[in-house]
Amino acid sequence: MSNNVISVRNLVKVYDKVTRALDGVSLDVEEGEIFGLLGPNGAGKTTLVRILTTQIPPTSGEAFILGKSIIEEAERVRELIGYVPQEISVMTDLTGYENMLFYSKLYGVPSSERKRRIENALSLVGLLDKANIVVKNYSGGMMRRLEIAQAIINYPKVLFLDEPTIGLDPSGRKAIWSYLSQLMEEHEMTIFMTTHYMDEADMVTDRLAIINLGKIVAVGTSSELKRSTKLESITIISKFHKEEVKNLLNSLPFVKQIYDGKEEGSVTAYVENAEEAVIEIISTLKENNVDVESLSMNKPTLDDVFLAYAGTKLEETTSALEARKVRRTMQRMR
Amino acid sequence: MIAYIEKVLAMLEVEVRRIMHDRTELYTRAVQPILWIGVFAPVMEKFRVVPIPNITYMEFITPGVLVQSITFVSIFYGLNVIWERDLGVLNKLLVAPVSRSALVIGKALSAGVRGIFQSLIIVLLAEILGVRIVINPIYLLLAALLIVVFCAAFAALSIFIASLLKTRERFMGIGQAITMPLFFASNAIYPINLMPNWLKAVATINPLSYAVEGLRALMITGDLTTVPLDFLVSFVFVAVTIVIASQTFKKIIE
Repeated sequence: MSNNVISVRNLVKVYDKVTRALDGVSLDVEEGEIFGLLGPNGAGKTTLVRILTTQIPPTSGEAFILGKSIIEEAERVRELIGYVPQEISVMTDLTGYENMLFYSKLYGVPSSERKRRIENALSLVGLLDKANIVVKNYSGGMMRRLEIAQAIINYPKVLFLDEPTIGLDPSGRKAIWSYLSQLMEEHEMTIFMTTHYMDEADMVTDRLAIINLGKIVAVGTSSELKRSTKLESITIISKFHKEEVKNLLNSLPFVKQIYDGKEEGSVTAYVENAEEAVIEIISTLKENNVDVESLSMNKPTLDDVFLAYAGTKLEETTSALEARKVRRTMQRMR
Repeated sequence: MIAYIEKVLAMLEVEVRRIMHDRTELYTRAVQPILWIGVFAPVMEKFRVVPIPNITYMEFITPGVLVQSITFVSIFYGLNVIWERDLGVLNKLLVAPVSRSALVIGKALSAGVRGIFQSLIIVLLAEILGVRIVINPIYLLLAALLIVVFCAAFAALSIFIASLLKTRERFMGIGQAITMPLFFASNAIYPINLMPNWLKAVATINPLSYAVEGLRALMITGDLTTVPLDFLVSFVFVAVTIVIASQTFKKIIE
């Protein structure tokens, strides 16, 4: 408990008496780390962030930010945190500087310090030269950076980022990451971020939790999680009848699960040890006269981790919902 | 307490800056009142259907039309709050260390700020059309105060309605459904004593009537007999709506 910046105990949130958005979530976030919450849309990520940032009360359970209860001491908690919501929430009809000025006043930054802090924050995210431009003329990535600048105006101890890179192109996402790491160097902060991008969770976070259907299914560093799946896979591409290949693979005792691969005629088999399995698979296929075009071994990715712990693929559950959300965000950026 | 006021003022400052950046809405919203004052009033005057002593019919309806216009401006603030919720702006405000009531008062007074700018345009155009406004700085300051209070009350009412309806679609029709009946069931375009009894009763409990009566006294007739009552009713109205809206405000994001 001592150096836990965020501690969450058995948090439950039920919407409209039926939807269990959070189903008994417990986790601890340590000081100075970037903690990621990875999961598909609808998993409960945003609900958890909204409860931790005191926007909505939990149905049951409790959570503490630096020892302060998010229920009983919400006012104190608000002074300690910064928050970037999922939506592009800057005021587009004002300039970047005016946006910053408003939040500096709302957070009670003393008037003598305002100008300096605003300029520091804006230069940190590379927007100082765009400060006097009305925000509707910013790009999506610039708006996101402005929001991050806003969220650090009160020098928060904990920064909550809800899908900070949604709707951005790869270069925009990389820019956000590099600004965030710079931010971590200049301010002593803990970051709690949600994402459904695997590469982001993999590269940016120190530790991450995987959430699915309102439950935390795994917590650890990305490499710990990958190792813990004990799942390595072998992908076979063959012109042979696919169902037969699957049946043959299924008959092998060490094959755990079988899925259709992305390419035409490809099948992926999850095994515990790929190096050992590959020999047996090849000989079994040969015995049955299956002509193998290519074969590859794969080490687990976070997607595999997700599959192992949540029982579904992250990408499949995400795509349709994400498309809608991205479209909404893009409309806003225009 | 000082911090509280500073935060409310920060919200008002944002409203003023918004108006400075884009004034189109102020101009387009002035079109309808000008039609009432410049077209409807002269025609009605010609037929002498509404007998009013001492002042022209055009002068009579100017405060009424002004109040209708700022009611429309204010009733839009609830929609604005829902919109800001959908954009995440509201969530960010709720995470800031600001009390819920300061947010509601800030929003309500923002409507007052916009109402003042809107009124300035309408009064200026009415003056050009031939309406003689009482030029007395104290009267005009009191009129401005009454406008701010009235706008704040309607904006708070609208935030309360927004916290019940929660979606933009449901809110859309509400603006017209509230303001038009209140407008016609008031002394805005005809004196209360010409009304049938049932309508008279409605007009007497209609807060819009008191705003119109107060502004008419301060801006047109200069006869202040009713002004204390007009202020009393408006202040009670704003106090009640702000207290209620502060209670229900955070329901908007749930």
